[in-house]
Amino acid sequence: MNIIEIKDLKKDYPLGNTIVPALRGVDLSVAEGDFMSIIGPSGSGKTTLLNVIGCIDFATHGSVKVGGLEITALDDRRVTDIRLHKIGFIFQTFNLIPVLNVIENIEFPLLLMKRTAAEARKRASQLAEEVGLNDHVRHRPAELSGGQRQRVAIARALVTNPDIVLADEPTANLDSVTGASILELMKRMNEIEKTTFIFSTHDANVLKYARRIVKIKDGLIEGAPAAA
Amino acid sequence: MKLMLTIAWRNILRHRGKSLVIGAILFTGAFLMTVGNGVITGMAAGVETNIVNGFMGDVVLVSDAQKSDNILLPLMGSSIEPITSYKRIKPILAAQPYIRHALPVGKNLAMMLDEKTDTPGFAYLIGADFEEYRKMFPDNFKVTEGRYPRPGERAMLFPTFARGEFYNFYNIWFLPEGGAVVKEHLSKEALAAGAALPVSSSVVMMGMTSGINSTNDLRFPIKGIVEYKALNQIFGHFCLVDIESYRECLGYFTAADMAAQVPKEEKKLLALEGADLDSMFGGEDMMVSGAGAAREKKKAAPSGAAKTAEDGTYNAVFIKLNPGATYKRALASLNAALTQGQAGVRAVSWNKASGPIGSMAVIIKVALFLFVTLLFCVAVIIIVNTLTMAAIERTAEIGMMRAIGAHKTFIAGMFLGETAILSAVFGGFGITAGVVAVRVIPLFRITTTNDILQILYGGNFFHPLLSLSGVALTVLQLLAVTVAAALYPMRVAGGITPLEAIARD
Repeated sequence: MNIIEIKDLKKDYPLGNTIVPALRGVDLSVAEGDFMSIIGPSGSGKTTLLNVIGCIDFATHGSVKVGGLEITALDDRRVTDIRLHKIGFIFQTFNLIPVLNVIENIEFPLLLMKRTAAEARKRASQLAEEVGLNDHVRHRPAELSGGQRQRVAIARALVTNPDIVLADEPTANLDSVTGASILELMKRMNEIEKTTFIFSTHDANVLKYARRIVKIKDGLIEGAPAAA
Repeated sequence: MKLMLTIAWRNILRHRGKSLVIGAILFTGAFLMTVGNGVITGMAAGVETNIVNGFMGDVVLVSDAQKSDNILLPLMGSSIEPITSYKRIKPILAAQPYIRHALPVGKNLAMMLDEKTDTPGFAYLIGADFEEYRKMFPDNFKVTEGRYPRPGERAMLFPTFARGEFYNFYNIWFLPEGGAVVKEHLSKEALAAGAALPVSSSVVMMGMTSGINSTNDLRFPIKGIVEYKALNQIFGHFCLVDIESYRECLGYFTAADMAAQVPKEEKKLLALEGADLDSMFGGEDMMVSGAGAAREKKKAAPSGAAKTAEDGTYNAVFIKLNPGATYKRALASLNAALTQGQAGVRAVSWNKASGPIGSMAVIIKVALFLFVTLLFCVAVIIIVNTLTMAAIERTAEIGMMRAIGAHKTFIAGMFLGETAILSAVFGGFGITAGVVAVRVIPLFRITTTNDILQILYGGNFFHPLLSLSGVALTVLQLLAVTVAAALYPMRVAGGITPLEAIARD
């Protein structure tokens, strides 16, 4: 079953008096539970594609369905709810809340979902353990290494049991050893939680971890194999 | 909510510098607002207390013919219209259950004549029955020299402030009859005169208002020198005299005139039906002196004989209401009763009757209110600016929160929470400090001799006053500042999109 269905997706950005096309008609299907990598050079449109799938940016043209729901015509409140309930994000620069400690950062989305504090804490603790941060739950992000921060981000992205986790260049700010461990972790979480992972990268070393690779160039998918 | 406040509180601690700047503004604003409200309340209460309890009561009756309600310090000393119907007014007042005390008075400007230089000066006269006056205002002034007049005695009580002013003008230091110079009471200028200080214990006055132009001059024996306990520089322009002397001075019918002369004239009038009545009023026996006085007497003369002081002419009736009487309702009810009784007078509030003093109090109140409002605006602008900067600086953090599912309302609430916590903590301290200041300031007995400041002080010394409602008003003002200051930053923060956060990366 496809969790994502994209048809003729176009995204243009105005730049002064000119229009810059970032995506020029993308067709893509992603199967549930996939561990997929989008690769391509800088400016190819991979981040834009992730942003549109993640309801962070809006399509200029085309259709994007996430979990069967057409997301291109929804208002801010609805897309925020989709981001909260269906999508998890892992950012290149970790983007943790600096004033919250590890466990509070992980449970943050659950509290936004109005889960009880006890329930949220239980689930967050479970994920902290799964990502190997059991000993650091009281630490603030500033007290963690880059790899540890990204582990927190992974746990936070998974805490709501989302349908999809989107990771934009998750290893770009990490050294190769740490980056590899993060990808190992993502892969393991994909297996444990059965969550669909889509991550963008232009690092060739990362590709070996992907079950499926989609190449993007100049806003178009190149030779993408059909989804299962 | 807990999460929102937790993040807000930790952000305050994280951005200590900015928080302290905003906190200091909120503290200062809350402190000044509290003290400002205390000054406004104290001034309003002081002016009301001092005028109501010390000078003219809650309500003043003035003649229907009186154009302006202001009878305290009328423009250019214009005359206060006479009231000749007090006998008809008195039972109406007695029938009003909310009235505690009524005092009919004469009140007008008089010319003070200097027997040596013929240079005239001016003073306000209040003519009243001394006994009744004391019942109405038992402790509004103290007699510093001489004594309080006996019942029915012809007398003047001369205020200390007017004595100093007149010394500078006439070079005469007024003393009570039989009194000696009290060195400690001499003004700086009088003290400089040393042993050669010219003194007098009587003063010649002539009713001199724009409407009367009486030529009656009358010598008033000074029985006492008085000092008003509050607003002495304002009330100190008023010399208190017995009502009969006042009437003679102003050329009004006195009670004695009415008892002795009017019946005779009435007889003439009755005998001379259809004759030239004008010639009647030109007769010497009808006049006290001067044409102006005769005109006033014609204007003021009631029909029928009179035998008591209450039959004579007054200019106003000072009324004190019972404690707890609803002021507006009493005023409306009294006016209705006076109209129905065809009393020829109307009731006006003390603040209207006190004219420029009431207006000055209102002006100062408005000025202080504007000052507090300005303070508000400055505080709001600075806080808005600081919080907006904070919102922009935190674009990545806010955008990330939005990306992982925080609604705009959560972000806005977080900012409101930050401002609310700062307001509660620093504003709370500011209000507490303000309350303490308002309580402590009166202990210093900061006095002034300046007229305007006396009104601001609500009396002779600075006495800000804070009621529970005053504190509640400050809290509401602080709440308004908090909301006003948070609105724009909330909007800015709520408008940050996840995309902006990513773009910022």
